[in-house]
Amino acid sequence: MTQTIVIARYNPEQDEKPHHEAYQVQSDDNTSVLDALQQVQQQDPGLSFRWSCRMAICGSCGVMVNGVPKLGCQTFLRDYPAGLVITPLSNFAVEKDLIVNMEPFLEHLSAIKPWLINTAEGTQPHVQTPKQLAKYQQFANCINCGLCYSACPQFGLNPEFRGPAALALAHRYNLDSRDQGKAQRMPELNAKNGVWTCTFVGFCSEVCPKKVDPAAAINQGKVESAKDMIVSVLKPSGAR
Amino acid sequence: MSSQQNGRRPYLPPFRRDWWLQLRFYRLYMLREATVLPLLFFVGWLIYGLYSLGQGPMQWQHWLEFMAKPWVFVLNLLTLAASLFHAKTFFELFPRVMPLAPPGLMIAGQWLGTVVVAIGLIVLLGGYV
Repeated sequence: MTQTIVIARYNPEQDEKPHHEAYQVQSDDNTSVLDALQQVQQQDPGLSFRWSCRMAICGSCGVMVNGVPKLGCQTFLRDYPAGLVITPLSNFAVEKDLIVNMEPFLEHLSAIKPWLINTAEGTQPHVQTPKQLAKYQQFANCINCGLCYSACPQFGLNPEFRGPAALALAHRYNLDSRDQGKAQRMPELNAKNGVWTCTFVGFCSEVCPKKVDPAAAINQGKVESAKDMIVSVLKPSGAR
Repeated sequence: MSSQQNGRRPYLPPFRRDWWLQLRFYRLYMLREATVLPLLFFVGWLIYGLYSLGQGPMQWQHWLEFMAKPWVFVLNLLTLAASLFHAKTFFELFPRVMPLAPPGLMIAGQWLGTVVVAIGLIVLLGGYV
């Protein structure tokens, strides 16, 4: 059947700001938003959007569908009988059509050092029990799609806020038994734009395509941050 | 190289003041946060009650009459409803912040604690013992 979809268009060389355009696409029960965008691209090769894997692994095809952040490949037209409006991810600057500048997100991500920090020498593998793995496994499923940043009003209000994915990954590495970098990450968590900027709106966890629950991770980070503060107060000065 | 030189002209849409009206999820969040407002009145009246108690029987009687006024009663009912809603949201979020036991068990435990404390206070302060 034929369905109408509305897409936000923005050409930085011609337009002052984005505008909406309607397109007709052929759809059945299996037509995803990404499929529909590719159909529109056949009609209008100028349409720009990101995509890669088509199976919710790469995290490239994030867009807003009727104001809610979604992965295009995981969202189906059949669920929107009343029509759908596709716009670029909120809270990011639009480069062209549905492509946003993810640079601020990547900066926040690298700031929390999302990698194993371990000073142990040698080539022996790090041993980890299933119980130790279970502590952080849920938070390790992040695919860096950025949907949580578009869902977060605190990031919208204050782009300096480290944000859901970055803080969730900080917590993920802090919980990892193989990691020794917690002391390096805590200043970022404790800082003005760290975990305490979060007010547990919780929409980040709602839209996360991998059920990472970043809101839980950030608020567990607040507990860690509070403990860190108490320890630093109780420790004699110069002992840190 | 500046954005102008390389042809880039990123457009950052302004963050809307009414962002919280756009989705049901955000409206419920704002409702949760707004539950503090009726609580503010309630705390004010409680402090007024303590003050009245210190002023003697006349003032205490005056406070009791004030608390029995229909509009004060209705506002207190609203405070109760708001507090229960806040408790519901809080109890549901708590197991995610401190996952000490299965979430269902933690939520049930918190409600049980609320009921026990409420009954205890009613029995203790209501002159039943």
